[in-house]
Amino acid sequence: MIVPAFNESAIIGPSVSGLRSRFAHVVVVDDGSADATASAALAAGAVVLRHAVNAGQGAALQTGIDYALARGAAFVATFDADGQHHVEDLVTMLAALQGGSQDIVLGSRFLGHAEGLPLARRLVLKAAVLFTNLTTGLRLTDAHNGLRVMTASAARRLHIRQDGMAHASELIEQVGRLGLRYAEVPVTISYSEYSKAKGQRLSNSLLILRDLFAGWLLR
Amino acid sequence: MTIQIFLTALLATVAVMVGLQRSTSRVLRLAVLAVVALGLYFVWVPEQTTRLAAALGVGRGADLVLYLWVVITLALIVFLYLKIVQLSRRLTELTRAQALARPQIPADSGDSR
Repeated sequence: MIVPAFNESAIIGPSVSGLRSRFAHVVVVDDGSADATASAALAAGAVVLRHAVNAGQGAALQTGIDYALARGAAFVATFDADGQHHVEDLVTMLAALQGGSQDIVLGSRFLGHAEGLPLARRLVLKAAVLFTNLTTGLRLTDAHNGLRVMTASAARRLHIRQDGMAHASELIEQVGRLGLRYAEVPVTISYSEYSKAKGQRLSNSLLILRDLFAGWLLR
Repeated sequence: MTIQIFLTALLATVAVMVGLQRSTSRVLRLAVLAVVALGLYFVWVPEQTTRLAAALGVGRGADLVLYLWVVITLALIVFLYLKIVQLSRRLTELTRAQALARPQIPADSGDSR
């Protein structure tokens, strides 16, 4: 289980403990936090990889994936640190991946529940889904969900180059281009004041478009 | 005449600096030298800008120079931005290698995946 974290010391401990109750291997990538994120995650039983400087959530995910693959993981999952995801959903998704023939299983809050999701953010997310479906040709109901479970072979073929938040779109684009078999599983996202403060905003989506454009130019 | 001498000295300095800068790509060096040459031409034959501007459908020569300046500046900003993205990707690779070289393993666990 890969958990990217940037200044999450207030909540990383319980998040890791929750994951550790169901999964043996939890890797927290501390993306250059200035607070006690790393020590809190370590105390809760996670392996901690520390980025010396803040490189972005996409960069942190790829670091965690590299580590898990080097350690011989059979499955790799991504989980947000801010407490909006539920460990039970991850259990369901892993079971779906193990029982089915997919390469990657993506969480969807719109098939499941989005608790306390503000209207403005719902519209931004829906627009992102529309944009992603139009640009990738995939048919998804959720585009920027941090809950994903993939097989090791899928994880080896995907490579996140978008260091920032655009990695979510980039991953889906690669799933489409590589022809990976994917499925969506309904999940519940609980929006707390804490996660709302750290989540996506409208201004972020413009930055994501800019990053995607730059990535396209540099390809 | 005074401004012409000043501008010529300035453009010549740019040309020499860019010409000596071996680290810059050949294409970029040639592009800068071309811009400098065009600048020198316009500095010494300003009436040509007005004729060229009229031919292109722009009012005055000064306006043409201004528009060109805006376009060149915007292109430069995009170029520099892409350069920054490339640099930050290299920084990310460095950061990742360092993080992977020194994983922190929790005390209570023998395994470490």
